[in-house]
Amino acid sequence: MQPKLTPGGQAPWTPGISTTGAAEETSIRQLLAHGKSKTALDRAKDLHKALGSAASEALLIDAYAGRIQALLDQNLALEAKSLIELVRERYPSAKARLDALRATSAARAGALDELLAPLADPGLGAEPRAAIEQAVQNKIADLTAIAACPALPADHPLRTAAAALDRAFVAATSGFVTDEEIALPEVSHRSPLGSWKLLVRAIAHLYRGEDEACREWLGAIKPESVPARLIPAMQSMLGVKPAAPLTPPEAALVSRTTESSAALRNELEKLDRAFADDADDNHIFKLVRLAMQECRRILPDQVETLKRLIFVRGSMNVVDEERMIAALQGMPRQDASFFRARAHGMETTGDDEDLAMASEYWDEFRQRAVREGWFGAKGMEVATLYIHMAGLLRKIPKDELSDIQQESRSNRSLGIEDSYFLFPDKLYERACVLDPHAEVFSQWLSWAVQESAHKGEDVAKAWHKIRPMDLEPLLYLLQAAEQRNAFPSALTYLDKAERIDAVHSVVRASRLRLLAGSALRHLEQKKPHLAAEKLKAIAALPQSRQGDRPAFLAALGYVIAVERGDTRAMDEMRVEACRLLGSDIPVAMLVCGISAAAKRRPVALPLVENFSRAEQAALPAYIARLVAIAKDVGIKKFHLPVPYLGEAARQFPRAKGSLDINQLRTLAETALAMGDEEFAYAVSGEGLSRGGDTEARFLVLRARSMPGQQGDRHVICAAAAAELARPHRDMETIGEAVDLVRGVTESDPFSLTLEQAREVVRKEIAASDYPAYNSRGPDYSALMPDNLCDCPKCRRARGETPHPFVDEDFDDDDLDDEKMESIFNERVPEGMPPEVAKMFFEVLKEGYRNGLSPDEILKALDGTGDLGGGTRGKGKKGRRQ
Amino acid sequence: MDPREVLGVSPNAGEEEIRAAYLRKVKEYPPDQAPEEFEKVRNAFETLRDPRKRTLAMLHASDPGAPLTSVLNGRAPRRLFAGPQPWREALKAK
Repeated sequence: MQPKLTPGGQAPWTPGISTTGAAEETSIRQLLAHGKSKTALDRAKDLHKALGSAASEALLIDAYAGRIQALLDQNLALEAKSLIELVRERYPSAKARLDALRATSAARAGALDELLAPLADPGLGAEPRAAIEQAVQNKIADLTAIAACPALPADHPLRTAAAALDRAFVAATSGFVTDEEIALPEVSHRSPLGSWKLLVRAIAHLYRGEDEACREWLGAIKPESVPARLIPAMQSMLGVKPAAPLTPPEAALVSRTTESSAALRNELEKLDRAFADDADDNHIFKLVRLAMQECRRILPDQVETLKRLIFVRGSMNVVDEERMIAALQGMPRQDASFFRARAHGMETTGDDEDLAMASEYWDEFRQRAVREGWFGAKGMEVATLYIHMAGLLRKIPKDELSDIQQESRSNRSLGIEDSYFLFPDKLYERACVLDPHAEVFSQWLSWAVQESAHKGEDVAKAWHKIRPMDLEPLLYLLQAAEQRNAFPSALTYLDKAERIDAVHSVVRASRLRLLAGSALRHLEQKKPHLAAEKLKAIAALPQSRQGDRPAFLAALGYVIAVERGDTRAMDEMRVEACRLLGSDIPVAMLVCGISAAAKRRPVALPLVENFSRAEQAALPAYIARLVAIAKDVGIKKFHLPVPYLGEAARQFPRAKGSLDINQLRTLAETALAMGDEEFAYAVSGEGLSRGGDTEARFLVLRARSMPGQQGDRHVICAAAAAELARPHRDMETIGEAVDLVRGVTESDPFSLTLEQAREVVRKEIAASDYPAYNSRGPDYSALMPDNLCDCPKCRRARGETPHPFVDEDFDDDDLDDEKMESIFNERVPEGMPPEVAKMFFEVLKEGYRNGLSPDEILKALDGTGDLGGGTRGKGKKGRRQ
Repeated sequence: MDPREVLGVSPNAGEEEIRAAYLRKVKEYPPDQAPEEFEKVRNAFETLRDPRKRTLAMLHASDPGAPLTSVLNGRAPRRLFAGPQPWREALKAK
């Protein structure tokens, strides 16, 4: 038969078996640990009845203590108190332990006198004292009651501590308190009220806005103490989301001690929307007034910041400034922060005139920031600011900036130095004085080069003077001197550059080119003896023995010998050149090209018709080779007779298989340079068919060789070239291709995927015939952007007819310069001086090209209009007054 | 974002302070555990270390197009003195 189970689910204990008694004790303790105090007590009573030992009595007292604690936890303080008295009477040995429970019971019942009275006894044991103090720390929330407790003498430390804490608590929750007021020397850190002291300090710091200190004091409070109950509410006040929802009294505390910013947020959101929607000014000013009113009430320390933000936003939205100031109840404080925000705001509008205003505001910012100690007056920060201002001005079109500069100076009677913030040159100059860094000079030079070659040289010279070991200005000066045929100067700069970095690729390539250029210049100046000196210098260079350079030297030597009348040298040089180039024909062509470059008398070349078939077939290769030689030695325009190029084009289908990829590229570029697009088109097709890394380059050449009316195809080829060049990081081709696309679609971004670009290559290889005027070519309609501008100007720029439905039999673009001039000459008024007639024709031509009406052209003639056909925004000129 | 805010340094912080803040943040966001945060911290440090970049960051530290409600960001609302009573009620309620 199974034993009957007790309510606790345990089998009843059978008396007389000690091993079972030990098991029963374990079972009772488990019941206590699981909070089943009633069952545990019943079974402990049974066990003690059966055994009657000291051990069973101890277990019984434990069970009573568990039961009393359970009653206390259920707020049954009276029942707990009765049980305590009963157990104290029956088991005197448990007195000390029950005193602790008695203290808890008294604390729970609010019987403060009963709880604290034992503390008045100096002989109170340590255990009951600790129990009472723990009860005070963890259970008593009423400091006033402790301070006034009659069970303790008036000077008892607990009473005096409670009184001091109560006063400090009231003070800290009612107004700002000093550190002295909350020092509380009466409360020791070992006092059961110690955590109250920490709470008072946390409250004081909270109201002072010292949130970090507040957090630290809260963190030091004992988590089981009464003051710890306020931690969730106070953390909520500090902006920390509570782990559990706040109780209603906690929520009420947070609400009463924290001003909600919801109303201000709402007003600001409305104002933000009004600005974004470009709402009516009256509506905006009304919202500004409401937002500022709310801000003054809730966040008085943020009034200036908000005023500044709203004012700047208003400026960006072009609202009336006077009325805005009235709505804000005064101008924002004009400090560095204000001008920084204002300048930054003007930068972001995208308006040219605002960029100029931004530069002016940045200058105001600079002055105030220096005054307010943000940075020094002559430091790197100011230099960086000047560079930034110059960068803004560079975004403004040149003529527009010039208008702004003139208007600003005339309105305020300022000199250039006074309004330097509108002049990039002045800003760069000042920046370089303050921070003579290569990067700063480089930016100045890049701007100056765009302005004019002369300005570029001035800046490069200034740079070189201050930083003589920088290579960049020397290379610029070298190239600029070479451009204007000032070879002695260029060679001087090269000497300096070689001393800095002789292995730099540009430096290494320059000497031979400059010496060759110098020799040609001497020939041009009829100084063949000096040319001969240069030739000698070239011949001494190790690099002059590479590739086809010896052939160039021989041909140059021949030309010099001709000039000097040295027939022996002429023969020697001709023979040497023939040996190197393999035939008389390329030698004659090279000599002819060198003579033309040196502006000497023309060399008679044999007629192409008199060439043998083999010589004719070799012409494409000759041209490619000779143009490459000329390019290598810096001859910018290599003279080539047109019939030679025509014959090369005819021979190309037969000869193309023998040309390598570099020769094909040179041929296509030469054909384009000489205006033979059809030949360039054929060569680009051959180049494309070879595949490999040069596909992108040949696609650019194909785009450039396209006839004018193939605008869409031109764009597609250029866009495909950009895409194909990207994986190879061929920046030169990418740049050229992007410029070609932009030239047609203006600023519209247009690009293809790599797969689409490959498809374009396939189609272009297949399209081997040069497109006739009305031929369609490959179908790229699926690749064309939908948003191409259809205005006559853009259509014309794309090589399309200006109007989509115009009769194609009559296109006014058919009027080339020659035809226009001939029509003009037929109607030119009698007696008009030829110089005036020429100027008149130029004006008419430009106006006609830009689609202007006769009235507009006449206005341009009398100086009241312009020939550009466009108008620039002048809407906000008044804002600069 | 303002690099000074990323590193948690004051506008007047010097090089030493910036470096110390960077090392603190790197410990907080090691590259193998928080690569995105680390990248932000690294970029902020690079910006602040270069005086020219630091100046440019300072010039553009405020965003004029930011929502006006940004004045409320990171700002604790104003605290009101309500006397001891609501505090006591919250204490006694538990």
